[in-house]
Amino acid sequence: MSKDVKDYDVYEVFSQKEPTGKFESQFSLLAPNADVALAMAQENFMRREEVPSNLFVVKRENIHFMPPEKRKALLRLDNKDYRQPSHYGYIPSKWRELKEKNAPKASV
Amino acid sequence: MFKPEITIHSDDPRVQEFLERIENGEKIEVDDWMPDDYRLQLIKLIAMHGISEIMGAFPEKEWVPKAPTLKRKLSLMAKVQDEVGHGQLLIRVAEDLMHPLGKTREDLIEDLFSGRLKFHNVFHMPAPSWADAALIGWLVDGAAIVTQKMLAHTSYAPYARALKRIILEERFHAYHGEDMVIALGDGTEQQREMMQDALNRWWPALLMFFGPPENGEIKSNQEINIRYKIRSKTNEELRQEFLDKYVPQIRALGLEVPDDNIYYDETKKQWVYTHPDYTYLRDVIAKNQGPRSQNRLNLRKIGFDNNEWVREALLHNQKAIS
Repeated sequence: MSKDVKDYDVYEVFSQKEPTGKFESQFSLLAPNADVALAMAQENFMRREEVPSNLFVVKRENIHFMPPEKRKALLRLDNKDYRQPSHYGYIPSKWRELKEKNAPKASV
Repeated sequence: MFKPEITIHSDDPRVQEFLERIENGEKIEVDDWMPDDYRLQLIKLIAMHGISEIMGAFPEKEWVPKAPTLKRKLSLMAKVQDEVGHGQLLIRVAEDLMHPLGKTREDLIEDLFSGRLKFHNVFHMPAPSWADAALIGWLVDGAAIVTQKMLAHTSYAPYARALKRIILEERFHAYHGEDMVIALGDGTEQQREMMQDALNRWWPALLMFFGPPENGEIKSNQEINIRYKIRSKTNEELRQEFLDKYVPQIRALGLEVPDDNIYYDETKKQWVYTHPDYTYLRDVIAKNQGPRSQNRLNLRKIGFDNNEWVREALLHNQKAIS
Protein backbone atom coordinates (compact mmCIF):
# COMPACT_ATOMS: atom_id res chain seq x y z
CA MET A 1 0.00 0.00 0.00
CA SER A 2 1.49 3.31 -0.99
CA LYS A 3 1.28 6.16 1.45
CA ASP A 4 -0.15 9.45 0.29
CA VAL A 5 -1.09 12.91 1.45
CA LYS A 6 -3.31 11.48 4.17
CA ASP A 7 -0.12 10.65 6.04
CA TYR A 8 1.19 14.21 5.87
CA ASP A 9 1.23 16.24 9.08
CA VAL A 10 -0.34 19.58 9.91
CA TYR A 11 2.26 22.22 10.78
CA GLU A 12 1.48 25.58 12.35
CA VAL A 13 3.58 28.40 10.90
CA PHE A 14 5.01 31.29 12.94
CA SER A 15 7.08 34.24 11.86
CA GLN A 16 8.83 37.21 13.32
CA LYS A 17 8.97 40.60 11.64
CA GLU A 18 12.01 41.89 13.50
CA PRO A 19 14.47 40.42 16.01
CA THR A 20 12.79 42.13 18.96
CA GLY A 21 9.25 41.46 17.70
CA LYS A 22 6.89 38.77 18.94
CA PHE A 23 6.21 35.51 17.16
CA GLU A 24 3.11 35.76 15.07
CA SER A 25 0.95 32.85 13.94
CA GLN A 26 0.61 32.85 10.15
CA PHE A 27 -1.59 29.85 9.40
CA SER A 28 -1.18 26.10 9.04
CA LEU A 29 -0.10 23.86 6.20
CA LEU A 30 0.14 20.18 5.33
CA ALA A 31 3.61 18.75 4.73
CA PRO A 32 5.45 15.42 4.79
CA ASN A 33 8.30 16.71 7.00
CA ALA A 34 9.65 19.85 8.65
CA ASP A 35 12.00 20.76 5.78
CA VAL A 36 9.22 20.78 3.24
CA ALA A 37 6.98 22.57 5.73
CA LEU A 38 9.54 25.37 6.06
CA ALA A 39 9.97 25.67 2.30
CA MET A 40 6.20 25.80 1.83
CA ALA A 41 5.83 28.29 4.69
CA GLN A 42 8.25 30.63 2.95
CA GLU A 43 6.37 30.31 -0.37
CA ASN A 44 2.93 30.56 1.20
CA PHE A 45 3.41 33.31 3.75
CA MET A 46 6.56 35.32 3.01
CA ARG A 47 5.81 36.49 -0.52
CA ARG A 48 5.23 40.09 0.48
CA GLU A 49 6.70 40.50 3.95
CA GLU A 50 9.12 43.42 3.96
CA VAL A 51 12.12 42.17 5.94
CA PRO A 52 11.03 39.09 7.84
CA SER A 53 13.65 38.05 10.31
CA ASN A 54 12.58 34.51 11.16
CA LEU A 55 10.16 31.75 10.26
CA PHE A 56 9.42 28.48 12.01
CA VAL A 57 7.02 25.56 11.94
CA VAL A 58 5.67 23.33 14.71
CA LYS A 59 3.80 20.08 14.26
CA ARG A 60 0.31 20.85 15.45
CA GLU A 61 0.19 17.68 17.57
CA ASN A 62 2.97 19.21 19.68
CA ILE A 63 0.97 22.32 20.48
CA HIS A 64 -1.41 22.16 23.41
CA PHE A 65 -4.50 24.21 22.79
CA MET A 66 -6.77 25.41 25.55
CA PRO A 67 -10.07 23.54 25.18
CA PRO A 68 -13.19 25.65 24.47
CA GLU A 69 -14.65 25.32 27.99
CA LYS A 70 -11.38 26.54 29.55
CA ARG A 71 -11.08 29.45 27.11
CA LYS A 72 -13.99 31.05 28.95
CA ALA A 73 -11.75 31.28 32.03
CA LEU A 74 -9.51 33.66 30.08
CA LEU A 75 -12.12 36.36 30.62
CA ARG A 76 -10.93 38.43 33.57
CA LEU A 77 -13.29 40.05 36.01
CA ASP A 78 -13.12 43.76 35.40
CA ASN A 79 -11.88 44.57 38.89
CA LYS A 80 -8.12 44.51 38.49
CA ASP A 81 -7.37 48.10 37.64
CA TYR A 82 -4.56 48.14 40.20
CA ARG A 83 -2.59 46.12 37.61
CA GLN A 84 -2.76 49.00 35.14
CA PRO A 85 -0.41 51.99 35.02
CA SER A 86 -3.45 54.21 34.49
CA HIS A 87 -4.62 53.33 38.01
CA TYR A 88 -1.62 55.34 39.27
CA GLY A 89 -2.27 58.36 37.14
CA TYR A 90 -2.36 60.74 40.12
CA ILE A 91 1.39 60.23 40.73
CA PRO A 92 3.09 62.84 38.49
CA SER A 93 0.97 65.70 39.86
CA LYS A 94 1.42 64.41 43.39
CA TRP A 95 5.21 64.56 42.94
CA ARG A 96 4.94 68.16 41.83
CA GLU A 97 2.78 68.98 44.81
CA LEU A 98 5.19 67.31 47.23
CA LYS A 99 8.23 69.02 45.72
CA GLU A 100 6.58 72.38 46.21
CA LYS A 101 5.40 71.59 49.71
CA ASN A 102 8.74 70.32 50.94
CA ALA A 103 11.04 72.60 48.98
CA PRO A 104 13.91 73.86 51.18
CA LYS A 105 12.90 77.26 52.51
CA ALA A 106 14.94 80.04 51.00
CA SER A 107 17.31 81.30 53.68
CA VAL A 108 16.53 84.76 54.90
CA MET B 1 -22.07 10.32 3.02
CA PHE B 2 -22.26 11.78 6.51
CA LYS B 3 -25.86 12.35 7.61
CA PRO B 4 -26.37 15.39 9.80
CA GLU B 5 -28.05 14.36 13.05
CA ILE B 6 -28.12 17.60 14.98
CA THR B 7 -29.30 20.53 12.87
CA ILE B 8 -30.69 24.01 13.18
CA HIS B 9 -34.15 22.42 13.56
CA SER B 10 -33.12 20.01 16.35
CA ASP B 11 -34.65 20.27 19.78
CA ASP B 12 -31.23 20.19 21.44
CA PRO B 13 -30.33 22.88 23.99
CA ARG B 14 -26.81 23.07 22.52
CA VAL B 15 -28.23 24.29 19.20
CA GLN B 16 -30.03 27.12 20.97
CA GLU B 17 -26.87 28.06 22.84
CA PHE B 18 -24.88 27.91 19.61
CA LEU B 19 -27.35 30.20 17.81
CA GLU B 20 -27.18 32.65 20.71
CA ARG B 21 -23.40 32.77 20.41
CA ILE B 22 -23.76 33.47 16.69
CA GLU B 23 -26.37 36.17 17.29
CA ASN B 24 -24.04 37.82 19.82
CA GLY B 25 -21.43 38.09 17.09
CA GLU B 26 -19.14 35.47 18.64
CA LYS B 27 -16.79 33.56 16.34
CA ILE B 28 -16.66 29.77 16.22
CA GLU B 29 -13.37 27.86 16.34
CA VAL B 30 -12.64 24.41 14.92
CA ASP B 31 -12.76 22.67 18.30
CA ASP B 32 -15.98 24.35 19.48
CA TRP B 33 -19.13 22.25 19.55
CA MET B 34 -21.18 22.90 16.39
CA PRO B 35 -24.38 21.49 14.87
CA ASP B 36 -23.75 18.97 12.08
CA ASP B 37 -25.39 21.08 9.41
CA TYR B 38 -23.16 24.07 10.32
CA ARG B 39 -20.11 21.87 9.78
CA LEU B 40 -21.45 20.43 6.52
CA GLN B 41 -22.44 23.79 5.05
CA LEU B 42 -18.98 25.13 5.84
CA ILE B 43 -17.19 22.12 4.32
CA LYS B 44 -19.25 22.42 1.16
CA LEU B 45 -18.66 26.15 0.82
CA ILE B 46 -14.98 26.27 1.77
CA ALA B 47 -13.94 23.15 -0.16
CA MET B 48 -15.61 24.60 -3.24
CA HIS B 49 -13.94 27.96 -2.67
CA GLY B 50 -10.50 26.37 -2.21
CA ILE B 51 -10.76 24.06 -5.19
CA SER B 52 -12.05 26.94 -7.33
CA GLU B 53 -8.88 28.90 -6.50
CA ILE B 54 -6.70 25.97 -7.58
CA MET B 55 -8.74 25.28 -10.72
CA GLY B 56 -8.79 29.02 -11.46
CA ALA B 57 -5.03 28.93 -11.92
CA PHE B 58 -5.50 26.89 -15.12
CA PRO B 59 -7.22 29.47 -17.34
CA GLU B 60 -4.84 32.15 -16.02
CA LYS B 61 -1.64 30.21 -16.49
CA GLU B 62 -2.45 29.67 -20.18
CA TRP B 63 -1.37 33.25 -20.79
CA VAL B 64 1.86 33.11 -18.81
CA PRO B 65 4.02 31.86 -21.71
CA LYS B 66 2.25 34.19 -24.16
CA ALA B 67 2.28 37.39 -22.08
CA PRO B 68 3.18 40.39 -24.26
CA THR B 69 6.09 41.64 -22.12
CA LEU B 70 8.41 40.29 -19.44
CA LYS B 71 6.85 42.64 -16.86
CA ARG B 72 3.38 41.33 -17.67
CA LYS B 73 4.65 37.78 -17.42
CA LEU B 74 6.20 38.37 -13.98
CA SER B 75 3.11 39.97 -12.49
CA LEU B 76 0.81 37.34 -14.00
CA MET B 77 2.96 34.56 -12.55
CA ALA B 78 2.89 36.25 -9.14
CA LYS B 79 -0.86 36.35 -9.36
CA VAL B 80 -1.23 32.70 -10.38
CA GLN B 81 1.00 31.76 -7.45
CA ASP B 82 -1.28 33.77 -5.13
CA GLU B 83 -4.32 31.84 -6.37
CA VAL B 84 -2.69 28.51 -5.61
CA GLY B 85 -1.63 29.87 -2.22
CA HIS B 86 -5.25 30.84 -1.50
CA GLY B 87 -6.26 27.31 -2.43
CA GLN B 88 -3.73 25.97 0.10
CA LEU B 89 -5.15 28.13 2.91
CA LEU B 90 -8.77 27.31 2.18
CA ILE B 91 -8.24 23.59 1.76
CA ARG B 92 -6.56 23.54 5.19
CA VAL B 93 -9.65 25.17 6.67
CA ALA B 94 -11.88 22.56 5.01
CA GLU B 95 -9.58 19.70 6.11
CA ASP B 96 -9.76 20.66 9.77
CA LEU B 97 -13.57 20.65 9.52
CA MET B 98 -13.58 17.25 7.77
CA HIS B 99 -11.18 15.68 10.26
CA PRO B 100 -13.86 14.45 12.72
CA LEU B 101 -15.64 12.81 9.77
CA GLY B 102 -12.49 10.83 8.91
CA LYS B 103 -12.04 12.60 5.60
CA THR B 104 -8.84 14.04 4.16
CA ARG B 105 -7.51 16.14 1.30
CA GLU B 106 -7.46 13.03 -0.88
CA ASP B 107 -11.22 12.69 -0.49
CA LEU B 108 -11.58 16.27 -1.72
CA ILE B 109 -9.50 15.53 -4.80
CA GLU B 110 -11.43 12.32 -5.47
CA ASP B 111 -14.71 14.19 -5.07
CA LEU B 112 -13.47 16.80 -7.53
CA PHE B 113 -12.60 14.18 -10.15
CA SER B 114 -15.87 12.31 -9.69
CA GLY B 115 -17.91 15.52 -9.96
CA ARG B 116 -19.28 15.41 -6.39
CA LEU B 117 -17.29 18.48 -5.37
CA LYS B 118 -18.25 21.51 -7.43
CA PHE B 119 -16.00 24.37 -8.49
CA HIS B 120 -16.76 27.69 -10.15
CA ASN B 121 -16.50 26.28 -13.64
CA VAL B 122 -18.81 28.97 -15.02
CA PHE B 123 -15.50 30.77 -15.63
CA HIS B 124 -13.87 27.85 -17.42
CA MET B 125 -14.16 29.14 -20.94
CA PRO B 126 -11.62 29.62 -23.72
CA ALA B 127 -9.43 32.73 -23.35
CA PRO B 128 -8.48 33.38 -26.97
CA SER B 129 -6.83 36.81 -26.64
CA TRP B 130 -4.68 38.76 -24.21
CA ALA B 131 -7.77 40.87 -23.55
CA ASP B 132 -9.40 37.76 -22.04
CA ALA B 133 -6.45 37.45 -19.66
CA ALA B 134 -6.91 41.11 -18.74
CA LEU B 135 -10.64 40.68 -18.30
CA ILE B 136 -10.18 37.68 -16.01
CA GLY B 137 -7.85 39.71 -13.80
CA TRP B 138 -10.25 42.63 -13.73
CA LEU B 139 -13.81 41.28 -13.60
CA VAL B 140 -13.56 37.58 -12.70
CA ASP B 141 -11.38 38.55 -9.76
CA GLY B 142 -13.64 41.53 -9.16
CA ALA B 143 -16.66 39.25 -8.82
CA ALA B 144 -14.74 36.98 -6.46
CA ILE B 145 -13.65 39.97 -4.36
CA VAL B 146 -17.27 41.08 -3.88
CA THR B 147 -18.17 37.62 -2.53
CA GLN B 148 -15.05 37.28 -0.41
CA LYS B 149 -15.54 40.66 1.25
CA MET B 150 -18.96 39.49 2.40
CA LEU B 151 -17.62 36.12 3.55
CA ALA B 152 -14.88 37.80 5.61
CA HIS B 153 -17.61 38.54 8.18
CA THR B 154 -18.43 34.84 8.51
CA SER B 155 -19.08 33.39 11.96
CA TYR B 156 -16.41 30.71 11.45
CA ALA B 157 -13.13 32.20 12.69
CA PRO B 158 -10.58 30.08 10.75
CA TYR B 159 -12.32 30.92 7.45
CA ALA B 160 -12.40 34.60 8.40
CA ARG B 161 -8.67 34.50 9.21
CA ALA B 162 -7.85 32.89 5.86
CA LEU B 163 -10.03 35.44 4.05
CA LYS B 164 -8.30 38.34 5.79
CA ARG B 165 -5.02 37.30 4.23
CA ILE B 166 -6.65 36.48 0.88
CA ILE B 167 -8.37 39.88 0.66
CA LEU B 168 -5.08 41.69 1.34
CA GLU B 169 -3.57 39.88 -1.64
CA GLU B 170 -6.65 40.47 -3.75
CA ARG B 171 -5.97 44.21 -3.52
CA PHE B 172 -2.94 43.53 -5.69
CA HIS B 173 -5.06 41.37 -8.02
CA ALA B 174 -7.63 44.12 -8.47
CA TYR B 175 -4.98 46.69 -9.40
CA HIS B 176 -3.18 44.13 -11.55
CA GLY B 177 -6.36 43.55 -13.54
CA GLU B 178 -7.16 47.26 -13.78
CA ASP B 179 -3.62 47.98 -14.96
CA MET B 180 -4.07 45.51 -17.83
CA VAL B 181 -7.51 46.71 -18.94
CA ILE B 182 -6.58 50.39 -18.71
CA ALA B 183 -3.64 49.73 -21.08
CA LEU B 184 -5.97 48.03 -23.58
CA GLY B 185 -9.10 50.16 -23.11
CA ASP B 186 -7.06 53.37 -23.36
CA GLY B 187 -4.95 51.96 -26.19
CA THR B 188 -5.43 51.68 -29.95
CA GLU B 189 -8.76 51.13 -31.66
CA GLN B 190 -7.85 47.48 -32.18
CA GLN B 191 -6.97 47.03 -28.52
CA ARG B 192 -10.28 48.52 -27.43
CA GLU B 193 -12.11 46.21 -29.81
CA MET B 194 -10.29 43.22 -28.32
CA MET B 195 -11.35 44.39 -24.89
CA GLN B 196 -14.98 44.83 -25.97
CA ASP B 197 -15.00 41.33 -27.52
CA ALA B 198 -13.68 39.82 -24.32
CA LEU B 199 -16.28 41.70 -22.28
CA ASN B 200 -19.06 40.43 -24.55
CA ARG B 201 -17.80 36.86 -24.16
CA TRP B 202 -17.55 36.95 -20.35
CA TRP B 203 -20.54 39.09 -19.38
CA PRO B 204 -23.18 36.32 -18.97
CA ALA B 205 -20.75 34.17 -16.93
CA LEU B 206 -19.95 37.13 -14.67
CA LEU B 207 -23.62 37.68 -13.87
CA MET B 208 -24.26 33.95 -13.48
CA PHE B 209 -21.39 33.51 -11.03
CA PHE B 210 -23.48 35.03 -8.21
CA GLY B 211 -26.26 32.49 -8.70
CA PRO B 212 -29.94 32.91 -9.54
CA PRO B 213 -31.79 35.87 -7.98
CA GLU B 214 -33.97 35.05 -4.99
CA ASN B 215 -36.96 37.20 -6.02
CA GLY B 216 -38.08 37.26 -2.42
CA GLU B 217 -37.89 33.49 -2.05
CA ILE B 218 -34.82 32.52 -0.11
CA LYS B 219 -34.03 28.83 -0.41
CA SER B 220 -33.75 26.87 2.84
CA ASN B 221 -30.06 26.23 2.15
CA GLN B 222 -29.33 29.94 1.91
CA GLU B 223 -31.53 30.72 4.87
CA ILE B 224 -29.52 28.31 7.04
CA ASN B 225 -26.27 29.96 5.92
CA ILE B 226 -27.67 33.39 6.72
CA ARG B 227 -28.99 32.34 10.16
CA TYR B 228 -25.65 30.76 10.98
CA LYS B 229 -24.00 33.95 9.69
CA ILE B 230 -21.85 31.92 7.34
CA ARG B 231 -22.91 34.46 4.74
CA SER B 232 -24.74 37.74 5.17
CA LYS B 233 -25.98 38.77 1.72
CA THR B 234 -28.14 37.22 -0.99
CA ASN B 235 -27.04 36.40 -4.55
CA GLU B 236 -28.87 39.42 -5.92
CA GLU B 237 -27.41 41.81 -3.34
CA LEU B 238 -23.91 40.67 -4.31
CA ARG B 239 -24.63 41.01 -8.04
CA GLN B 240 -25.92 44.55 -7.46
CA GLU B 241 -22.69 45.42 -5.62
CA PHE B 242 -20.69 44.05 -8.54
CA LEU B 243 -22.68 46.21 -10.99
CA ASP B 244 -22.30 49.26 -8.70
CA LYS B 245 -18.56 48.97 -8.85
CA TYR B 246 -17.89 47.80 -12.38
CA VAL B 247 -20.50 49.32 -14.70
CA PRO B 248 -18.96 52.79 -14.13
CA GLN B 249 -15.46 51.36 -14.76
CA ILE B 250 -16.60 49.67 -17.98
CA ARG B 251 -18.07 52.98 -19.19
CA ALA B 252 -14.98 54.93 -18.11
CA LEU B 253 -12.93 52.74 -20.44
CA GLY B 254 -15.21 53.70 -23.31
CA LEU B 255 -16.60 50.17 -23.49
CA GLU B 256 -20.23 49.19 -23.67
CA VAL B 257 -22.00 46.93 -21.21
CA PRO B 258 -23.27 44.14 -23.49
CA ASP B 259 -26.87 44.63 -22.39
CA ASP B 260 -29.14 47.08 -24.24
CA ASN B 261 -31.62 47.14 -21.37
CA ILE B 262 -29.39 47.90 -18.41
CA TYR B 263 -30.12 51.04 -16.38
CA TYR B 264 -29.94 52.25 -12.81
CA ASP B 265 -33.32 52.69 -11.19
CA GLU B 266 -32.82 55.79 -9.01
CA THR B 267 -35.96 55.26 -6.93
CA LYS B 268 -35.27 51.61 -6.12
CA LYS B 269 -31.52 52.29 -5.92
CA GLN B 270 -30.71 49.22 -7.95
CA TRP B 271 -29.70 48.02 -11.40
CA VAL B 272 -32.30 46.71 -13.81
CA TYR B 273 -30.71 44.43 -16.38
CA THR B 274 -31.17 41.36 -18.57
CA HIS B 275 -30.61 38.21 -16.56
CA PRO B 276 -28.54 35.45 -18.09
CA ASP B 277 -30.09 32.02 -18.59
CA TYR B 278 -29.67 30.49 -15.13
CA THR B 279 -30.88 27.08 -16.33
CA TYR B 280 -27.44 26.89 -17.97
CA LEU B 281 -25.97 26.88 -14.44
CA ARG B 282 -28.15 24.00 -13.35
CA ASP B 283 -28.12 21.89 -16.51
CA VAL B 284 -24.62 22.46 -17.85
CA ILE B 285 -22.29 24.06 -15.32
CA ALA B 286 -23.43 22.05 -12.29
CA LYS B 287 -22.67 18.93 -14.33
CA ASN B 288 -19.16 20.14 -15.19
CA GLN B 289 -20.17 20.37 -18.86
CA GLY B 290 -19.09 23.98 -19.49
CA PRO B 291 -16.92 24.75 -22.54
CA ARG B 292 -13.59 23.98 -20.86
CA SER B 293 -14.69 22.24 -17.64
CA GLN B 294 -13.62 18.74 -18.60
CA ASN B 295 -10.41 19.96 -20.18
CA ARG B 296 -9.35 21.78 -17.01
CA LEU B 297 -10.38 18.86 -14.77
CA ASN B 298 -8.25 16.67 -16.95
CA LEU B 299 -5.27 19.00 -16.51
CA ARG B 300 -5.72 18.73 -12.75
CA LYS B 301 -5.85 14.97 -13.00
CA ILE B 302 -2.70 14.79 -15.11
CA GLY B 303 -0.91 17.02 -12.58
CA PHE B 304 -2.11 14.88 -9.68
CA ASP B 305 -1.06 11.61 -11.34
CA ASN B 306 2.30 12.90 -12.55
CA ASN B 307 3.22 14.15 -9.10
CA GLU B 308 2.28 10.99 -7.25
CA TRP B 309 5.89 9.83 -7.05
CA VAL B 310 6.94 13.19 -5.58
CA ARG B 311 4.31 13.04 -2.84
CA GLU B 312 5.34 9.51 -2.03
CA ALA B 313 9.09 10.16 -2.12
CA LEU B 314 8.73 13.11 0.25
CA LEU B 315 7.03 10.92 2.82
CA HIS B 316 10.00 8.68 3.39
CA ASN B 317 13.06 9.96 5.18
CA GLN B 318 15.58 9.93 2.45
CA LYS B 319 19.06 8.74 3.32
CA ALA B 320 21.99 10.01 1.30
CA ILE B 321 23.27 7.40 -1.11
CA SER B 322 26.94 6.96 -0.39
